[in-house]
This record gives sequence, structure tokens and C-alpha cells, in this order.
Amino acid sequence: MATAVESSRELEDFESVVRLYWLKVFRFALASVRDHDAAQTLAQDCFYKAYKARGSFRGEASVGTWLMQIAINLVRDQARDRRLQFWKRARQTGVDLDTASRWIPDRGASPEVAALAKEQVQAVWNATESLSERQRTVFLLRFVEDMDLLEIAAATGLKEGTVKIHLFRALQAVRERVRTAK
Amino acid sequence: MIEHLSGEQISQWMIGERGPQLERHVAECDECRGQLAQLETTLSQFRGAVREMSSSAAPPAWRQPASGPWFSWPRLAFAAVTLLLLAVLPVYWSARVKELAAESARADALLLEQVDSSISRAVPEPMEPLVNLVTWNSNPAEMKKKAERQ
Repeated sequence: MATAVESSRELEDFESVVRLYWLKVFRFALASVRDHDAAQTLAQDCFYKAYKARGSFRGEASVGTWLMQIAINLVRDQARDRRLQFWKRARQTGVDLDTASRWIPDRGASPEVAALAKEQVQAVWNATESLSERQRTVFLLRFVEDMDLLEIAAATGLKEGTVKIHLFRALQAVRERVRTAK
Repeated sequence: MIEHLSGEQISQWMIGERGPQLERHVAECDECRGQLAQLETTLSQFRGAVREMSSSAAPPAWRQPASGPWFSWPRLAFAAVTLLLLAVLPVYWSARVKELAAESARADALLLEQVDSSISRAVPEPMEPLVNLVTWNSNPAEMKKKAERQ
């Protein structure tokens, strides 16, 4: 893990920070808001805020975790913004749920196996949409961003035990959805 | 050996809550190991799908945000309105104070007038007709003539 000094120094070259973490922030935003344009705007806002606040960064967490912290807050603010709910329903650049499972690598699987895999990925995708905002955040950080529980706790500001509870409930819901999709 | 893993135990396993009994069972039970592997594969494919979906997004060219010029029309308009208010308010305030003082002086004068007129009465207002009566009967010329006749 980077020390506080190393992390603070990392922020001096902000262009590199954007290059390094853009995809991670954008991916989390996209999986959360399910809209390409909104995710792009959200990621830009995240880096802008980080740039403005870089002076207050103390290096208690890594730069990546700190950026995710900002992104999580932005996603939450966006979800609470009722004005956006209408546009969310009428979104033009929304990620098509039917095609969310299109990118499964083939790896020479039989058509039946590939079709089943797509159905299951689709079921996970659908399940994450019906999760509560916190459960979804924790689930995406764990199973898309591969963050461990302590990193998730640092990024969300929750206790590790609370992260476990949200993750457990999210997994139960996802498993149930996958089971019924079979 | 415990029975096959329940749904809750599978979720517990996935979040890293693995007791020795669970570990032993998973090591020995092909069916449960298969279920866990299936779920892990699905989650891994989900990860792959989301990552692939967002992989085309290239980071935008980063430009250091400018601090912004000190001059801008909204700023200028705000400054002008503030200055105008600062210039007009004292004038308005002093005119208003003078107006209030004049109004108060007028009211005082009216009150004094009312008090004067009430003090200058010889008798209370209801008794004034009697005074007039007395005055009419006690006309000195009239009385003198009356006395001469007698």
C-alpha cells in the first residue's frame, strides 16, 4: 500500500491520475447509473472535484480509494436528484440491458453453454438494478472492482461489518435472481 | 459431515465467512463445490461483461481547470447593483427619517391645539347652553332699562 507521502505526490501529476483511474471510475459510474452519458459526466465531475480538493487529501487511503469515495458520493447525489429520475426513464444513452451480456468471451463454449452464461449475466445485471443503492455499491465494488472489504469500507465510509451485511444481502438477492433465471 | 450448503451459507462463503466446518464440507462435497464454482463463474462473467462494456471509454484529455478571469458580466452586474444600493440607501433613509419627524411634529401640533381648545372653555361642553342662557338674560343694558322702569 502506498504511503501518505507517495499518495500525495501521485496527485501532483494529475494528468497521470486521470489516465490511471479514469476507467475504474467510469466503469463504476456506468454500472451504477446505467447511462453512458451520465457516467461520462459523473466521471468528469469526480476528477474535477478531486482536482479541486487535492490540497485536502491526507493520504489516509490510496488515491484510487479516495477517487472511488468521491464517485460513490456523486452516484448517491445523482440517485437522490429527483429531477434526474424523469430523464433516467427517458434516457437515450442508457445501457441496453438486453445487450449487457453480449460481451461474454466465447472461449470456445458450446452455443447452449454460452446462451446459459449470457442469461445468467443478464440475471445478475437485472438483480443489481433492483438492489438498494448501498447494496449495489458494495456489490459492484466487490465483484466488479475486485476491492476487498476493508477498501470498500474506506471508500463507502461504512464499518467493515456493515459492508459484510450489505454484501450478504446483495448476494442473496443476486443468487435468487440467477436461480430463477435458470 | 454437515448437509449440503444452504443459500445463506453459500452467500457467507462468497463474502469470506468460512468456518472450519464449512471448509471441510466444501473440500469433501463435489455438489457444493460445483455450486460455489458455478456462482463464482457467473460473477466473474458479470465482471468481464461490465469491464468490456466500459473498456471503449477513453479518458478525456485533462486540462487544468482555469481559475477564471476576474472580469465577467454577471460579476460586473452584481457589483453595480451593490454599489447602487450602497449609494441610494443612505439618501432614502435620511429622507424617510425627515418625513417621519415632520409627521410626528404635525401630530403633536394637532394634539396641542385640541388641548388648548378644551382648556379655554369656561364650563364643560354640556353646560355651554346654560351659560348662553345666562348671558342672554343678564345683558347689562337690558338690565339697566329694566331697573329704570321699575
